[in-house]
Amino acid sequence: NDILEETTRERFEPGFFKTEEGVVGGLTGLYANLRRVYGQPYYYNATETGTDEYTYGSQADGNFQAADLSGLGIPDAQNSRFDVLWNESYSAINSASAIIANGTEAAMPDELIAEARFFRAYGYALLVQTFGGVPLDLGGGELEFNTAPSLKSVRNTVPEVYTRGVFPDLEQAVEDLPDNPRVIGGVTKNVARLILSKAYLTYAWWLENPNNIPTYPETDRTDPDGMSATQYYQLAYDVATAGIDNPGPYSLQPTYYDVNLAQNDRNSEIMLWADHTEYSAKYNEGNVTGWNGGDAQNQSVWMVTCYFHITKASSDPATWSPVDAFFRTVQAGQAYSRQWSRMAPSIGVFTNTFADKTTDSRFDGTFTSVYRATWNYNTSRTETELYGANFLPIAPNEPVLSFIPSDPGGILYDDTYNDGTEAGYLPGRADFVVPIDKISRGVFPGLWKLGPYRQGKDYNDDKVSSSRPYNILKFSELYFVAAEAAVKGASGIYTARQLINVIRGRAGMWRYDVSQDMERIEDNSAAMQAATPATIDINYILDERSREYFGEGYRWFDLARTQKWEEYAGTYQISPTVGDTPATVNREIEPYMYLRPIPQGQLDRMDGDEAYKDNYQNPGYE
Amino acid sequence: CLLVFGSLVAVAQDVKISGKVVEEGSGEPLPGVSILVKGTATGVVTDFDGAYSISVPADATLIYSFIGYLKQEVSVNGRSVVDVSLPLDVQALEEVVVVGYGAVQRKEAVTGSVASIGGDEMREVPSANITDALQGRLPGVDMTQTSSRPGATMQIRIRGTRSLSASNDPLVVLDGIPFAGSISDIDPNSIKSVDILKDASATAIYGSRGANGVILVTTKRGRKGQEAVVSYNAFHGVKTLFSDYPMMDGPEFAAMRAEAIRTVDELGRGATYPNSSDEFDDINTDWQDLLYQTGKVMSHDVSVAKGSETGNYSFGLGYYKDEGVVPTNQYSRFSLRAAVDQNVGEYFRFGLTSNNSYGVTEGNQVGVADALGSSPLSSPYDDQGNLKRASQASQDIYKVWTKESIEDAQDVWLSETKTFGTYNNIYGEVEAPWVKGLKYRLNLGMNYRNSQGGSFTGIGVTSASDPNAPSSASISSAVTTSWVVENILSYDRTFAEKHSLNILALYSNQQEKYNSSRIVANDLPADHFQYYNLGYAEGEIIINPDEQNYSVWGLRSWMGRLMYAYDNRYMLSATLRSDGSSRLSPGNKWHTYPAVSAGWNIANESFMQGVSQINMLKLRVGYGETSNQAIDPYSTLGRLGTRFYNFGDNGDESYSTGYILSELPNTDLGWEYTQTWNFGLDFGLFQGRLNGTVEYYKQHTKDILLSVDLPSTAGVGSFVSNVGETENKGIELSLSGVIIDNLDGFTWEAGFNLYANRNELVSLTSGQEENVGNWWFVGQPINVIYDYKRTGLWQEGDEHMDILEPGGNPGMVKVEYTGEYNSDGTPVRPIGAEDRQVLNFNPDWQGGFNTRLSYKGIDLSIVGAFKKGGTVISTLYGTSSYLNLLSGRHNNVDVDYWTPENTDAKYPRPGGLTAGDNPKYGSTLAYFDASYLKIRTISLGYNFGGNWLDKAGISKLRVYATAQNPLVMFSPYHKESGMDPESNSYGDENQAVTTDIQERLPVIGTNAPATRTYLLGINLTF
Repeated sequence: NDILEETTRERFEPGFFKTEEGVVGGLTGLYANLRRVYGQPYYYNATETGTDEYTYGSQADGNFQAADLSGLGIPDAQNSRFDVLWNESYSAINSASAIIANGTEAAMPDELIAEARFFRAYGYALLVQTFGGVPLDLGGGELEFNTAPSLKSVRNTVPEVYTRGVFPDLEQAVEDLPDNPRVIGGVTKNVARLILSKAYLTYAWWLENPNNIPTYPETDRTDPDGMSATQYYQLAYDVATAGIDNPGPYSLQPTYYDVNLAQNDRNSEIMLWADHTEYSAKYNEGNVTGWNGGDAQNQSVWMVTCYFHITKASSDPATWSPVDAFFRTVQAGQAYSRQWSRMAPSIGVFTNTFADKTTDSRFDGTFTSVYRATWNYNTSRTETELYGANFLPIAPNEPVLSFIPSDPGGILYDDTYNDGTEAGYLPGRADFVVPIDKISRGVFPGLWKLGPYRQGKDYNDDKVSSSRPYNILKFSELYFVAAEAAVKGASGIYTARQLINVIRGRAGMWRYDVSQDMERIEDNSAAMQAATPATIDINYILDERSREYFGEGYRWFDLARTQKWEEYAGTYQISPTVGDTPATVNREIEPYMYLRPIPQGQLDRMDGDEAYKDNYQNPGYE
Repeated sequence: CLLVFGSLVAVAQDVKISGKVVEEGSGEPLPGVSILVKGTATGVVTDFDGAYSISVPADATLIYSFIGYLKQEVSVNGRSVVDVSLPLDVQALEEVVVVGYGAVQRKEAVTGSVASIGGDEMREVPSANITDALQGRLPGVDMTQTSSRPGATMQIRIRGTRSLSASNDPLVVLDGIPFAGSISDIDPNSIKSVDILKDASATAIYGSRGANGVILVTTKRGRKGQEAVVSYNAFHGVKTLFSDYPMMDGPEFAAMRAEAIRTVDELGRGATYPNSSDEFDDINTDWQDLLYQTGKVMSHDVSVAKGSETGNYSFGLGYYKDEGVVPTNQYSRFSLRAAVDQNVGEYFRFGLTSNNSYGVTEGNQVGVADALGSSPLSSPYDDQGNLKRASQASQDIYKVWTKESIEDAQDVWLSETKTFGTYNNIYGEVEAPWVKGLKYRLNLGMNYRNSQGGSFTGIGVTSASDPNAPSSASISSAVTTSWVVENILSYDRTFAEKHSLNILALYSNQQEKYNSSRIVANDLPADHFQYYNLGYAEGEIIINPDEQNYSVWGLRSWMGRLMYAYDNRYMLSATLRSDGSSRLSPGNKWHTYPAVSAGWNIANESFMQGVSQINMLKLRVGYGETSNQAIDPYSTLGRLGTRFYNFGDNGDESYSTGYILSELPNTDLGWEYTQTWNFGLDFGLFQGRLNGTVEYYKQHTKDILLSVDLPSTAGVGSFVSNVGETENKGIELSLSGVIIDNLDGFTWEAGFNLYANRNELVSLTSGQEENVGNWWFVGQPINVIYDYKRTGLWQEGDEHMDILEPGGNPGMVKVEYTGEYNSDGTPVRPIGAEDRQVLNFNPDWQGGFNTRLSYKGIDLSIVGAFKKGGTVISTLYGTSSYLNLLSGRHNNVDVDYWTPENTDAKYPRPGGLTAGDNPKYGSTLAYFDASYLKIRTISLGYNFGGNWLDKAGISKLRVYATAQNPLVMFSPYHKESGMDPESNSYGDENQAVTTDIQERLPVIGTNAPATRTYLLGINLTF
C-alpha cells in the first residue's frame, strides 16, 4: 500500500451519482433544498413585505424596513433577501444537472431523472421571474453540471431561460413523472403540470408586458419559437385544466380550515411542501428542542406574530396586580407562535381583502384574531382565574386579547387596567380589544395558518422552529392559473368564473371557528358563489388569490407577474398606535424594482471589473 | 607479616590529597567538578566551595572535568594539596543551535536564520505552553492569542502569512520527530531549548512541512558524566480578572434605553424596547460580578538526570493546573517524560525519548454571553430571595447564572475533553569504523494522540424558560497516529584543521492517520448518566456523517545537505530536497527544491584582529525554496455534501439521506511553493557584552493553494486551486547586552527585539483584482478589513445627508463617500456597497524586551511585548456580538453616545437608523488602533546561598514571585475599554453572529475575560 495513494472512507465522491442509490440520494438532496428557501424567514420577508399583504412590524430590522419601500431604504444588492433564492437555487440546479447527466449515462429510470428535471426547471422558473435572465451555463456548458468552476457568469435572456431552461424539462417531466408520488410529498405529473402552467402564464405576461416593465438582459419581447402571448396563455390554460381533470391523488379539502390545519398537514390538497419533523433533529436538519439559526428552519410565522404574550392580567380582582396571561409554549397550539413582530399586515388586508369575515371562512382560517389565556401551561402557576379589563374574570383559554372587526367607538386606552400593550378595553368585556381597522405595527392579528404545532407533549419552549411542513404548492392553484389564463383570453371547457367559483364555493364551507375556538358547521357556498361578479377581471383574481394564499409567500410573485405591484401596494394604511386614525403610507415602487437585485455576494465573488459587474447587475441597482 | 607488609605497602602507596578547583581567571570556586583517577573508576566531586579530598596512589594522574570547561589532567606527584584552575571551554560556551535532523551547530557557523531560546530563559514567563512563554520573545515569531480559555494555545506565525487557505502554522519538531499533537501537550518544564528556523535555507531540510517555519523543541536529557541531579520546580498562583467587559450599569442602561425610546418617538419609526415586567429602573445588577471567580494556577515538576561516560538518562514528571475566572473553566495536565542514550561498544549508540501527557480541559459549557446581555435593571433573585431561572431584558430572555449556581450544577452541566498523547522517538546510530566521521542513523518516530470529549446538559439546566427541557449529551473521540522512519547518513569531519565538512543524506517516509467521531444523544432518562451511557437515551441519537472524519496522508522525501566551513571564516550550506505527497493529484505529487546559504565571519579575518571592540561580525545570505502541501487530504477528489430530509412524518421510514454536489474534483492540484531570500548580520561587541542580529528577508509564495469561493451561479461553494502569489518582506532586529557587569555585585542585562513584516497579495486567480467575499485584494496584505470607513457621526445640518443617507438621522454613523459629485457639488448617489474600502489590519511593527537586574542573590526580571499600529477588532463595540445595539433591547457596552445634547460623542444615537438589529454601519465601531505595550511578567527572585544548603545536599534553591499581565500601556483600546487589547477569539467565534468577520482574523469576542496572575514559585536542585 503506497503511502502516496489516497482512499477515502468517510465521504462520497461525485461518481456516486452514477448509481441508483446515488440518484435517489441526490433527489433527496433536492427536496431538502426546498427547506432552505421555503420557511426561511428572510426569504419569506422578501416575498411579502412591500406588497399589499405586509409591511414592516415594530421589531423590524433594516432587511424588513428596506423591503417595505416606504422611505427606509430599498431592497438593494446588500439587503434584498431574495438572495436566499439566488444562493440556494444554483446548487440545486447544478446537482440536478449532475443527476440528469450521470443518471442518464448509467441508464437510471426516466421517472427518477424526471424528478431532477422538475427541480431544475422549477429553480429556473423562480429565478427568471425574480431576477430576469439568469445563466443557463454554470461552468460546465448549458444545463450541464459544473466540472470547471468559473468565476465568470453570463446571463441568458428571459426567453432563453424559459424556452431552454424551463419548458423543455417540465414538458419532459409531465411526460415521465408518475401519477402518484414515489415518496410522501414527492413530485408527480400533476405537480409538474402546475409549475409548467404557471411558467407559461408568467412568460405570457412577460411577452405581453402590459405596463411596459423593463427586462434584463435587454431583449425583444419575442418568443424564439415564434409563439405569441395569447398562445402561451392558452397553453397555461390547457395544462392547468389537464391537471384539474386528471387530479391523480390530489383533491380540494372540504373546508378551507382543513387545508391549513396542523393535524391535517400533508393533506390531499398540498402538492409540494418543504417537510419538517419534530421527532428527529437530524432529518429535520435543525434543533427540535430549542433555538436553531440554521439555514433549513421553518421560522416564517415568527416574523408575522406580534408580542401578544406580553399582555398582562391581574392576579387580584380589586387592585391591578399584573401577571402574565400567556405562557410561551409550543404546546399552546397553532394560534400561538414565537413572536418576532418583524412584519405587520396593513389595515387594508382586513378592510378590503378580508372585508367579508363571516360568510367567507378564509379570514377565520387565516388569522389568529383572538388570543386566549395560556398561563395555565406554566406548571408553576396555580391560579384558576385572572382578572382582565373591568376586573372581570378570565379563565384559561378565555380571550385575553381580541381583534374586533371594526372600531365601535368608546374603546378606552388608559392605564386603568394596564395590560402592558397598546390594546384598549370596552365596558363589560374582560378581554383587551384592538379594532382590526386600527391596528399598529406593534399589535396585529397573527397568522394561524402557518402557526406551529407539536404532537409530542414532552417539550415546551416556543423558541423551537416550526416542525410543520411549509406548504409550497396547492391543488387549488390549478384553478387560479386556469382562471387567470381565461381572463387573459384563453378558452376551454371552464370559464374563469366557473373555476373561481370552485374555490369560492369551498371557501363558504365552515367546519370550525378558529377565533371562537368551537365547532361551526355552515355551508355558505351558494352565497359565496352568488357574490362572484359575472365578469372576472385580473384584479378579482388577485384579490381572490390573496384571500386564498394570504401570507404564504405568493404575493410578490403574483403582483410582479401581473405587473400590478405598484397599483396594489403603492400605498397602505397602518395606525401609529392601536386606535389612532390610520396613517397612509406611500411606497415608491419603481418599474426597475420588478427585477430584484443580483445579490452583492454574487458580484463580490465574480471575476471582473466594475463595468462587468455593473453590466451583470440589474439596471437601477448599480 | 605478609599481611602487615601488604597493608604497609598499601598505606605507603595511597596518599590523601585535598584541594580546590576554581575557574581560571576569575578564581571562582567550581562546585560539582568531577575528579577521576585515570585508569580507574575511582572518583569524587567537588563540593559547593569547589573543595575536594580523595585518597589516591601517590603517582596517580587525576582528570578534572566539568561541563563548559576544558578537561585537565594533573599528576599528583606526591603532593597532598592539589589546586586546579579549569580554563573555560570557549567553544562549548558559545551558544549552540539545533539546525535539524540531529545536527547541532555552533551559532558562529550558522548561515540560515535561526532564533533560539534556552529553557530557563523561556521559563521566565511561567506558563502552560511554549506559545505563552515565547510571545514577544523572538523576532519574526508572532504569537497571537486566539482564545482566553485555560490551556488554550496561541496562533503562531513565523514571518507573516503566506498561504491563503492552506495552513500557515509552522512545523513543530519534538526531539527530532515531527510532532503530531497539540503544542499544549508539551510541558514547558521539560524543555531544554527551542530553536526556530525561519528562512528557507534553514527550513528546507524539513521540506514541504517546513514552509511556514520550523520550531525545534529539544527536551532535557542527562549529560555525559553528570552526577545524579534531582530538580523540583513549582509555582502556585491566583488568577484574577484583568478587567470585566465594560457593560453599562443599571442607571446608565436605563438612561440609554430612555434615550432610545425618545429617539424612536421623535423619528416616528423603529422599535422600542421598554422595561419588561422583570426590569426596574432602581435595580442595578452587575451580572459579571456574580459570575466571575478567582482562579488558581499551579505547576509542579520533578526530574532526575544522570550520565556516565557511556550513557545517560533523564526522567521527569509534571503536573499543571490552570483554573479560569469563569467557573468550571479549567485545564490540567499530567506529563511524564523519559530520555535514555546508551553507547554499546565503540561504534553503536541507541536512544529513546518519550514525551507523554494527559490533559483535561473542562468548563467550555459556560460562557459570558448571558452575563453580558442580561439587563442590569433585572434582579437575579425573586421576591423570596431565591435565584431566578431567567431574567428578561425587554424581549430577550437570559438564563440566570452565578458562580455558585454554576458550581452547584457541575454534575448536570458539564463539558470536558480528555487528551492523551504519547510522542516517542527511538534511534540507533552506528559509526563506520573504517571511515572517520561517517555515521548512519535510523530514527523511528511513533506518535499517538487520543482526545475524548464528553458533554452533558441535564433536564432544563440551560433553558431560560423551560425547566423540563430535555437533556442532551454528546461524546466525541479523535485519534491521531503517525509514524516516521528516517534513514540518515552523515559525514562530519574536519580536514587540515581548516576545512570542516558536514554532509547529510536522508530518506524518509511518514504517514499520519486521523479518525474522529461524534455522537449526540437526547433525552437521557436520568441525570446521573451524564454522557457515560448514551444507550439509554430516549430521544434521538444522532451520528452526523459530517462529524465523522477519517484521513490519511503520506509523505516521502529525499534530502541531501552539505555544510562546509573554511577556517571558521567562510561557511556554505546547500540543501536539495524532494517531497512526494499523497494529497496532490497524480502527476503533481512530487516537487524538488534547493536552498543555499553562505556566511562570512568577518571578525575572524586577520585584518580585523586589531579591532578589539568587535568580537564577532558575520554576514549571512541565503536563498531557497520551500513548499506547502497543506491542503486537506482528498481535496482533489470532489465531494458530495449531505442533506437529510423527512418524506412525511412516519418515523424511520420517512427519513432519507440526500446528497448535493459540494466540492468539485480537481486533477490539477500541485504544490504551492515559496522562494525566500534572507540577509543577516550577526555581531558581538565589547567582549561579548552586546550581541545582536539584523535580518532582512523577502519571500514570494507562488501557485498558492487557494480555496476559491465561487459565485452562487457556479452551483458549488468553492474549489481548491493553485492560484495567486503573495509576498512577505521584513526586517528583524534583536539585541542583548550586559549593561552593568557585576559592579559591586550588581548586574543589569537587557534584551530587545523588533520586527516588521510587510505582506502583500501579489495576484489572485489570473487577472482577478479582488475577491471581496474573502476580503482579498491584489496589492494589499492578505489580512485586511473590508468595510466602510467611519469618519464620525452625522450632525444636524451636515451637507448632503438627504442624498447620502436617505432615511438617516443626525447622530448616525458617518462613513466616507467615495463616489462622484454632480457639477453643483452634490453627490450623485447614496452611500452604498461600493463605498466599502480596504482598511489596515496588520501592525506596523512589533517586538519585545526583557531585562534582568541582579544584586547578589536577588534578581528582578521583566518581560514585555509591544505592537504598533494595525487594527484590533472588538466585536463588543461592533455589530457581531450584539452588545452595542444602542436600542435598549438588552445590555449594552458602556459607550459615549450621541444625543441632541451630547453631539461630540463617538457612538451613534440610540434608537437611530439601523441595519439589521444594529446601528447602521455599526461594524465600523469595532475597529481600534491595536498598539500596545504590555508588561507580560515581572518576577522577583532570590537565590539562596550558604553552607546550610550544602549540608542539606541542595545545590540550588531559588524562590520567586511573579505577576503576569500586570500592565498595559499606550493602548487606545485599553484606554477606552479598560480591557486587555489582545485578541481572544477567531473571527467566527464568541459572537452572536459569526459570519460577518473573516474567520482568519483574530478578534476580541465574548470569550473568557483576560486575567492577571500572581505566582509564588520555587526551583530546587539536589
